[in-house]
Amino acid sequence: MKPQLPRTDHLWWSAGSLLAVCYALTPIAWIVSLSLKHPGDLGDNRFWPQRITFEHYRAIFADAQFPAALMNSLGIALISTLLAVTIAMFAAYAVVRINFSGRRLFLALALAIAMFPPVSIIGPLFNMWRLVGLYDTWPGLILPYITLTLPLAIWTLAAFFREIPWDLDKAARVDGATAFQAFTKVIIPLVAPGVFSAAILVFIFAWNDFLFALSLTSTNDARTVPAAIAFFTGSSRFEQPTGSIAAAAVVVTIPLVIVVLIFQRRIVAGLTAGAVKG
Amino acid sequence: MRRYQTPAKRKTGYRLLPAALFLLLATAAGCSEEQSSPTPTLKWYIFDEPSGAFADAAADCSENSGGRYRIDLVPLPTDADQQREQLVRRLAARDSDIDIVGMDVIWTAEFAEAGWILPWPEKMAAEATSGRLDSAIASASYDDRLQAAPFTTNTQLLWYRTDRIDSVPTTWEELLKTAESLGDQGTVQVQGARYEGLTVFFNSLLSSAGGDILKNHEMVLDEDATREALAILQSIARSPAAPASLATSREDQSRLAFEAGDSTFMINYTFVWPSARENAPEIAENMGWARWPAVSEDRPSRVTIGGINLGVAAYSDHSDLAFAAASCLSSEANQRLAAHKGGLPPTITALYHDEEVQKTFPFADVLLETLKDGSQRPQTPLYNDVSMAISHTLHPLRAIEPQEDIDTLRREIERALHSEGLL
Amino acid sequence: MKLSSLSQQKLGWLLCTPALVAMIAVTAYPIVYACYLSLFRYDLRFPDKRAFTGIDNYLSVLSSTVWWEALLNTVIITAVSVSMELLLGMGFALIMHRAIIGRRLVRSAVLVPYGIITVVAALIWKFAFLPDTGFVGNLTGIDIAWFSQRWSAFIIIILTEIWKTTPFMALLLLAGLTLVPENLLRAARVDGAGPWQRFTLITLPIMKQTIAVALLFRTLDAFRIFDTVFVQTRGAQNTESVSIVGYHALISRLNLGLGSAVSILIFLCVLFIAAAYIKGFDIAGALTGKEKP
Repeated sequence: MKPQLPRTDHLWWSAGSLLAVCYALTPIAWIVSLSLKHPGDLGDNRFWPQRITFEHYRAIFADAQFPAALMNSLGIALISTLLAVTIAMFAAYAVVRINFSGRRLFLALALAIAMFPPVSIIGPLFNMWRLVGLYDTWPGLILPYITLTLPLAIWTLAAFFREIPWDLDKAARVDGATAFQAFTKVIIPLVAPGVFSAAILVFIFAWNDFLFALSLTSTNDARTVPAAIAFFTGSSRFEQPTGSIAAAAVVVTIPLVIVVLIFQRRIVAGLTAGAVKG
Repeated sequence: MRRYQTPAKRKTGYRLLPAALFLLLATAAGCSEEQSSPTPTLKWYIFDEPSGAFADAAADCSENSGGRYRIDLVPLPTDADQQREQLVRRLAARDSDIDIVGMDVIWTAEFAEAGWILPWPEKMAAEATSGRLDSAIASASYDDRLQAAPFTTNTQLLWYRTDRIDSVPTTWEELLKTAESLGDQGTVQVQGARYEGLTVFFNSLLSSAGGDILKNHEMVLDEDATREALAILQSIARSPAAPASLATSREDQSRLAFEAGDSTFMINYTFVWPSARENAPEIAENMGWARWPAVSEDRPSRVTIGGINLGVAAYSDHSDLAFAAASCLSSEANQRLAAHKGGLPPTITALYHDEEVQKTFPFADVLLETLKDGSQRPQTPLYNDVSMAISHTLHPLRAIEPQEDIDTLRREIERALHSEGLL
Repeated sequence: MKLSSLSQQKLGWLLCTPALVAMIAVTAYPIVYACYLSLFRYDLRFPDKRAFTGIDNYLSVLSSTVWWEALLNTVIITAVSVSMELLLGMGFALIMHRAIIGRRLVRSAVLVPYGIITVVAALIWKFAFLPDTGFVGNLTGIDIAWFSQRWSAFIIIILTEIWKTTPFMALLLLAGLTLVPENLLRAARVDGAGPWQRFTLITLPIMKQTIAVALLFRTLDAFRIFDTVFVQTRGAQNTESVSIVGYHALISRLNLGLGSAVSILIFLCVLFIAAAYIKGFDIAGALTGKEKP
């Protein structure tokens, strides 16, 4: 049930919405514009392209590298998200609901691990992965991604779980639901916003990462899109392939938008009227 | 119990999909494993040149090897620094996967000293250097031995608008005067960002003034020559003809700005020629070239050379084959290919008199003259440190004070040579 | 849950073990190795000249103006961007929560900047502001070379960061907003409380922990800023961040000893910041239920 707001409130929120959308999409429009500009027009000081060309899109798909990178990015990001969120949920639940000594130590450790500068982790990790044969493989990237996103996921979920009225499931049981029903129909909708927020953050991290992807892969087997972009070339040694980079960025944003569209409903859907009483 | 509705089923569906996808792809990857072939495969690590000239060269040499080896090109990132990062990481880890390395000229000393590449045996060295430009051979040598086969080279020329000036300036002083007299249209495009290109610029000016940065691993920085070089940098930066974004300008920005039309002069590599023909034909029609401006009337300019040399990795399992392969890759036929398809100037002197090459490079004669007098960047394993010291000290160009900066340069380069502290 | 305290202990650690394993397997060796290396003089190009030098590397870094200037730069960038992101993020969270018309569009659009690859975002912002080729100069008539001066370069770097990561804050804050019960707000409205009062007296206190976590993680990330600065200025004009200093030492100059020392120092700084947040907001206490009264 949507809250009943007076007309003026509607107007304010709509104006705010417009502002928010402009804020977000203007630079995106700039990327799209760059991806459609003729290479000769790149330096023309204008926002919109004077003449449109799809050659950059054709170029990136002509090379077998890019579609392979897309597949790698998709698979690696999805699996990392799935695993990271699941593991984080268990840990967050334990930290918030179970009284075991060393919880705070665990939280502190999780944080400390996320704080180390990635640039000095890369070298030793490269050596490690070559030793155990994880170099240039999907798990070779999935593992570091999970490692680096777990702290955020755990802390976010813990902060969220803390505020959930867990006793609601008891109330549901009193009302006649079975344990399973209570869990799926009461608890899950309550935790959904936090879980999906954490999931989006993990996904975007894995989708976006450049440093690890470049150093821990060497062929199309596992190279993701950000790393593949480093291999784009302009028509010569010194030319910056701005058009191709922009085109790749646009293409890579599309799955992201889809994931966000799917998830965004879940984030706010948890709060249905009556589920949470003050 | 409407309140508790939740589409639990749909969620499970989402979760299964990536797992299924993963399984599918993992199987597919496994199925495409190639059978190991009896002919040894040599992996050539080099940036993938956009026209495919390198890939063609690799295929060519593989065919002509008579079944002795096959060359596989493994692409490296486009940016030179990223290439070095990836190569160093693997070479330092003694990766036996690398056989032939496509090296930027400034890595020769570093890789050789660290023992990551093998010096060439006498006989093969003779083959790889016969008929090559002296400056290219020098760039591939360290410790009096040849460390890599010269493949392609590169250097800068002066590009100008023929429709705006009558006579081409031969010194920097003349150039600035001419440019300033043209007002708004007279911008001079040079590279002044804080990066390797700035070190190249300084090195060229210093060599043109008769000085050196290093000699025999010891810092020189002749007083007079350095002062002259710094004075020129200062006058460029403070001139009204300097580009507005001098402090962030690299080769590509210079090119774009020149193609936009407001500039009359540009110092840049040869790639700007085909680029202008394609992207700004009206400008290309009125584009001329000349030798890099000299520092003084009596001394011709000496410009820093760049390029690619082919080295053999120290941990390769087939080093003898790799030497042969590298020799083939840098042979005349493949240099011709690289020149024609990729626009990369060859290192074989005779090719500059070749008809086809002259068609690709109408400026071939000026280029050859410049290359013959080419100047080297300091050849020390600590080159990266030295380059950082120079570019950090000299940037931004408008803040240069010649007398002070000579002392600062000396101090910083000395620290760099001892790898002391943060730069 | 009625479990004996021993089985509680076991269950708790059991649930945490996968996380622990995942985190330690990947980072334990690199972190320990970095600590170890920082005590040596070790240049990758001269592998034979490795020598134990104790805390020399640390002394060298701490006595270098390069480090302290980079630290100042990093603090400036972090402070400005995080505070703006909090304000903007809160605004966006509220909009995403309350929007009726086109709510799907708003909620998805606002999150997209965060999903753009950082290097690409930095590139396109840089391209837009370059004097010769970008459109900003043309459009606004402000014709300065943004990246040629320290403060204007800072502005662009900070703007890029803000644009890109405000969605992160907005997302976390939105999740926090959903915890605020509607009935409470409605009751308060009926009682005559204005929107500002409702926000500060009801919404904010309930969101306190979420805000704290969002701020904490965003600050930790902002402090380690690298991609944006690298792409836009590469540290020129005195805009170097501490991570760039580390990169130069570790990767450009292959001075592993010095680079590791820089990394450890960055780690300590970040640790300090985290400790300050955790103490200040008493997050750990709140999360584990042992809140201070």
